[in-house]
Amino acid sequence: MENILFGIGITAVAGALATIAGAAEDTESDIGSQGDPNSQVQLAPQMGFIHRIYNKAISGEPPAYGLWCAIGAGVAWAFMAVQVNAILAIILGSLVATLVQGAYATTAYLGRTASLANFEQPVYIDLIRSVTTVTMAHAFVAIFTTVAMCYLMNTALGHPFPLPLLALVWGIALGAAGSATGNPFYGKERQYQEQPFGAGVSISASGTIVRYGEAGQRSSLDNGWFTSKMGGPASGICFGLIVFFELWRTVIFEHMAGGWGAVIVGVVLIFIFMALDRYIEVWARKTFGPYAKPEEAEATA
Amino acid sequence: MTVKMEASAGGIPHDTVMAYGLIGSLVGIYLTYLNVLSGTEIFSFFGGLAAIAALVWGANTIKHLCSYGLGTGVPSAGMIALGSGAIAMIFASRYGMLAPIVAVIVAGILGAIVGFVSNKIVNMNIPVMERSLTELSIVGAMSLMGFTAMLGGTFIFDEMVAGTSTFLGFVFADYGMSIIGGSTLAVTFMLAAIALQHPFNACLGPGEQQDRTLMLGAECGFLSMIPIALMSFAFISFASAVIALLVSVAGWCWTYVQFIELSKRDAYAWLDAKPIHEPKGGE
Repeated sequence: MENILFGIGITAVAGALATIAGAAEDTESDIGSQGDPNSQVQLAPQMGFIHRIYNKAISGEPPAYGLWCAIGAGVAWAFMAVQVNAILAIILGSLVATLVQGAYATTAYLGRTASLANFEQPVYIDLIRSVTTVTMAHAFVAIFTTVAMCYLMNTALGHPFPLPLLALVWGIALGAAGSATGNPFYGKERQYQEQPFGAGVSISASGTIVRYGEAGQRSSLDNGWFTSKMGGPASGICFGLIVFFELWRTVIFEHMAGGWGAVIVGVVLIFIFMALDRYIEVWARKTFGPYAKPEEAEATA
Repeated sequence: MTVKMEASAGGIPHDTVMAYGLIGSLVGIYLTYLNVLSGTEIFSFFGGLAAIAALVWGANTIKHLCSYGLGTGVPSAGMIALGSGAIAMIFASRYGMLAPIVAVIVAGILGAIVGFVSNKIVNMNIPVMERSLTELSIVGAMSLMGFTAMLGGTFIFDEMVAGTSTFLGFVFADYGMSIIGGSTLAVTFMLAAIALQHPFNACLGPGEQQDRTLMLGAECGFLSMIPIALMSFAFISFASAVIALLVSVAGWCWTYVQFIELSKRDAYAWLDAKPIHEPKGGE
């Protein structure tokens, strides 16, 4: 019984860390324009829309976060192997991973922007100074919380995977959660605020991203303010729930039905969430009305 | 068949880059064998330099492969290279002194099979697919072997699964503290995979230039060496790890500055805190 109580406590802490990680990850990727909305940032100058938005094309978020978290955990593991205190080791590992992330971010912006010289897109080096440090700060929070969560799973819950492998797997999951949950807020809503809500983005509007703000020109830092209200918390809840339910079902049901208990509960959870998702989708369609038909939209345009 | 869009013409021919990459990586990995001959671990950093030679070659291969309209496929090319290369590298590490050469042969065979499946069975129909995936698989195996040799001072399997831990002054054999048992190999895998795909992914576009892309390849390689040098403190002697770290940081600083200079050369304009430049005929 005490083991289970201890396990539930660790599960709650890990879920909380994961929630912070998810929120920080999505804010980081939106400030830097990583992931799928990046294609519009890349396309805009080719359509004649020169902008001051960061272009952090490193790879998809899941492999990138797999790498950052793996570096953080790998360096932390090595420092712990030479008898450095665990918390200090995780901080130092996350710091190294953050510096690598920052170096990758600057080379991605410079490389992509320099290759767009034909379309008269200049390199704004003040963006490198102001935006890179902000993405690095958010990346540090995301990497530190993920590696700390993996350390808890490894030492407190006795997960059989070594720390670097565990962080690689959870880093990929973190990037996937942020990419799938948070990016739609940024890509479909923030970049296209002049388009009617719910209309979708037509192909003719590709690349016409919002470049000017209410007062002055928009930089990627404004995305941080928007994302920390919308996409960030949504991604945080998503990743936090994934981690919480993953550990909860293992801690409580691992010894039932000859080891199959956790698997059965996992399948049941998936069905419950499918039903919930369907309910929310139908509710949203009914509440916010059906999408306008294309003919009607053309008639009113 | 997809239409070929060459990003930049001219530059060093691909076959020349390939020859330098293959020979450079093999020589670099064999130079780490000086560790065994001299009884020290001081030569481990040559593994990282070997990996850089392979990564620069791989960056040029990805550029050729992905000029067939594979925009979002660039990161995937890095992953498949390391995926097939890792199998060849671990298999080859059983062959002692011959390991690097066996890795090249096995990776070449695996890459050719992957290329054949992608082109003929999945029907991607890209003319350079078989050759590119064969090359990328060898690049994956060489870069992983190079980084692993830098991490632990060895590319031999038995030494990669042997680790020790100390308790109350006694030293115990501990698989969990080895390169493979501690999964530090997973970190080198990701470091090499992202470093391989990043140069072309970051520089793609109509103004792409080969020298800038390859310089970024070297920059990514040296950048990957820094965390590996830090992790190597757990496996090799303190002085050897410090030397590896100094080489990594010095190489990274030099290539990073060079890359910024090349970006400045190719950029339309280099502006500091200036408003949005609206092109003529634009909005």
